[in-house]
Amino acid sequence: MEKILGKKQIDDWIAALSEWEILAPSVEDGIWAYRALSGAVRLDHSNTTQPPKGLSFPQREVFFSFEQIKGEPPRLTQKMPTATRRAVFGVRPCDGAGAVRMDMVFSDHVADPYYQTRRKNLAYVGLACNKPQGSNCFCLSVGGSPVATEGMDVLMTDLGDRYYVSAVTETGKALMAAAAKLFAAPTSVDKKLVERTHADAVAQPQRAVKNVDAVPAKLKASFKSPLWEELARACIGCGVCTFLCPTCHCFDINDESTGASPVKGNRVRTWDNCQFPDFTMHTSGHNPRESLGSRLRQRVSHKFQYFQENFGMPQCTGCGRCISECSVGIDIITTVNKVTEHAG
Amino acid sequence: MINIQDMRDTARDLLTKNEVRAVIGYRRSSSGMNAEPVVITTPEQADELVWDPTCFHNLSLYLVEDRKFLAHTRNNPGRPIAIVAKGCDARAIVVLMQEHYFKREEVYIIGMSCEGSGVLVERKLAANGIQATNASFDGDDYVFTTAQGEKRLPAREIMADRCLECRIPYPREHNVVLGEDKTGRELAEPFAALKRFEERDAGERWIFWERQFDRCIRCFACRSVCPMCYCEECVVDSISFPVNAQTTAEEKANRVRWIERSAVRSENITYHLTRAMHLAGRCIDCNECERVCPVNIPLRLLNNKMEREAREQFGYEPGASIGAPALVASFLDNDPEKFIR
Amino acid sequence: MPDNIYLPELARVVHIKEEVAGERSIKTFRIEPVNGEAFAHECGQCAMLSIFGRGEMMISIASSPLIKEYKQFSIMRVGRVSAAFHELQVGDVIGIRGPYGNSFPVDDWRGKNLFFIGGGCGLAPIWPVITTAVAQRDYFKKITVFYGGRSPRDIMYRAELEKLRGDVDLQLSVDKTEDGWNGYCGFVPANVMDKAPSADNAIAITCGPPIMIKFVIQNLHQLGFADEHIFTTIENKMKCGLGKCGRCNVGKDYVCTKGPVYSWAQLKGLPEEY
Repeated sequence: MEKILGKKQIDDWIAALSEWEILAPSVEDGIWAYRALSGAVRLDHSNTTQPPKGLSFPQREVFFSFEQIKGEPPRLTQKMPTATRRAVFGVRPCDGAGAVRMDMVFSDHVADPYYQTRRKNLAYVGLACNKPQGSNCFCLSVGGSPVATEGMDVLMTDLGDRYYVSAVTETGKALMAAAAKLFAAPTSVDKKLVERTHADAVAQPQRAVKNVDAVPAKLKASFKSPLWEELARACIGCGVCTFLCPTCHCFDINDESTGASPVKGNRVRTWDNCQFPDFTMHTSGHNPRESLGSRLRQRVSHKFQYFQENFGMPQCTGCGRCISECSVGIDIITTVNKVTEHAG
Repeated sequence: MINIQDMRDTARDLLTKNEVRAVIGYRRSSSGMNAEPVVITTPEQADELVWDPTCFHNLSLYLVEDRKFLAHTRNNPGRPIAIVAKGCDARAIVVLMQEHYFKREEVYIIGMSCEGSGVLVERKLAANGIQATNASFDGDDYVFTTAQGEKRLPAREIMADRCLECRIPYPREHNVVLGEDKTGRELAEPFAALKRFEERDAGERWIFWERQFDRCIRCFACRSVCPMCYCEECVVDSISFPVNAQTTAEEKANRVRWIERSAVRSENITYHLTRAMHLAGRCIDCNECERVCPVNIPLRLLNNKMEREAREQFGYEPGASIGAPALVASFLDNDPEKFIR
Repeated sequence: MPDNIYLPELARVVHIKEEVAGERSIKTFRIEPVNGEAFAHECGQCAMLSIFGRGEMMISIASSPLIKEYKQFSIMRVGRVSAAFHELQVGDVIGIRGPYGNSFPVDDWRGKNLFFIGGGCGLAPIWPVITTAVAQRDYFKKITVFYGGRSPRDIMYRAELEKLRGDVDLQLSVDKTEDGWNGYCGFVPANVMDKAPSADNAIAITCGPPIMIKFVIQNLHQLGFADEHIFTTIENKMKCGLGKCGRCNVGKDYVCTKGPVYSWAQLKGLPEEY
């Protein structure tokens, strides 16, 4: 389903989605994020600091609470998230692609009920990038596109005074059907314009990971390369690159106590990441990835080799956040390109 | 004005004569306008070095990393390591020496005067609508290379608050120094930003801080980038305490978790306030913690508050002299509190 | 799999035995489900055990799948959760979820000679295989168990091992001998070399400290064992057990789902990050 929506009508459309909680980009304290919409929607963001990943995979998720009186069996109370339907406006194609990869992880092998409950009630109303949103965009070189519909329920393209709105999924169609009379059928002029806009978007120069298909084999061959330590020399070992990544999914599970007698508390999942030194540390003190270089290698290899081997696509969507937000210039594009060039 | 070539020549000369084993400096990053830290070990690499308004990083962090590495490998390199240091960075190096992290002769300081300016703030630059591929100093201006050609802005318009307020934009502790000493330049009152913040009432300030800390994602970039956060074991993060073959099951089992991993208000506040307390009298206002924060938490307000307390209550200036005792290791004879005597 | 993969079942501790005393003490726990039946498992699989308020840990199931009424776990006191386990009394209730991971392909080994080579607490993960093979004795040819500990007091499952004599060729060893010890004195790999078992129609299964495994495998190669016929288990820090939390990731594998059991042929293809 392809329609035209006047830019001034977008708020009317949102008003018609009364069964949905609406999230849209907004800026607070200099930080762009998807927040509950208050007032008119604005879609003049470049991209948000964090991807919408946290909406289906929050940084903190309580699995269940427990209470145990000494000598008695514990009582466990499951804390499944409530099934609120949420529509997120303005999601960029790299983050739509990120959601697809997150979906794979949290449904592969066995389904994660917390993730699934949140995700199946989440709709992405994407916004195509008519031009790159930042100097470190590289979606085209990792199998993505600034106009991709991957992971979206709806994709909107900015045509100046109006949006070209395409439904991608049944949910997307339902979202549009909720305000059917606001949408007009596209004219042949609209269709030509959207085609040209998309073609222009894809033709915009971007940075690039070179020959991504050859990367997995080259990374495999470079596992023992001294380049890893050299490239990680300035790394400070923080969690910025992973916590801002649309596809990083690693987590920790801990019991957080709220009382000692009786024992009371919550079993909680929190984000974790492979760049923290203790991530892989065994109880014995042995750490299989002790050095910064081995941890950079893990982040890069997981995205460009291991995930490719397991799911047939790179686990990087080219959003560029890990590059732009790294305080010491660690650059995943340069890293991949240097290591693979070195591998010959 | 500093000629970049002088810095490169100094580094090249030190490496050629084998006087140092490496030079920690700045080079152009692969991803845009900014400089990035680099450690060079051969004279040929000296030409990679840059000096411009994006040399934000307090490189003394890498002196700490270097010491940790040497301790780990039980290596005694014999020769010092050289470091490019601004005024603030040199004060950080002095604090580390006050705390006996390394000795003076183990470090060769290539001091860089900030002269009339300091480093820029990317967000201030973006607010001016400038997307640059290169930045350079030119007297009281910064000059940018953009797609639309060269752009020039008065430095003070986009300079970091900490540089505007800097009292000593000159590395007094150095082996060699480049640029003029412009100490005494008055771009802004010291603690001016803090003073502006303190004009709000307490209730308003608390609401402000709640909102700031609620945003924290606990990526620990602020701690990771701080040269003063060198503890092997961090009190705010008992999950990453060091374990080795000698650590007993008892120690591991009885570990207290002072702060939970959940990025929630109570834990975030405890984390940030504990860190601020531990930086009292040590923080030299390089403000790297605030710069690297991906969610814009204004950590400088906290650290500045502690710095001003130390100065006003005890006349203490961190990083002023290697021989001076650390703030928490010193006392005044005329201290108004009785417990000290 | 249950609907909520993270929600443990409750299980009661019905028996506790101290295997090894001292600083690195080991206790063996038998647990039974509080409600209903225990999940079925295969040799080599693991389970996530909980003490609520302390946390979870992944432990290999040390009892044979043929035993349905209880599951057995041998736990060394090394950290936060294991120390809490050592405080448990019979009757206490804990949490358990699983089973996780792959298993030893025991059924494929019928008609073969089996060589088990274990060291220290590395006997626990291969114990289900040993006891299952003995319970199905007719399916296998010669069964040999090499097992060593630091001292006679560090030998796990001592009484149970002795009961195996007759069904298996039992070769016990200690690093440091004491009065009354009449087994071998010296490292396990050396003991294997002394007895030089034939690689003909044989499978070798080894588990123990990494340094022991390294030398055992070198020696097995010398004896002519092919990489495909040598099996071991690896461990990494784990939190979910479900291939999602990312902690045990080694190459493209998550040890919790693709491991812990590997043939040496498979393991050679993985980065050494365990």
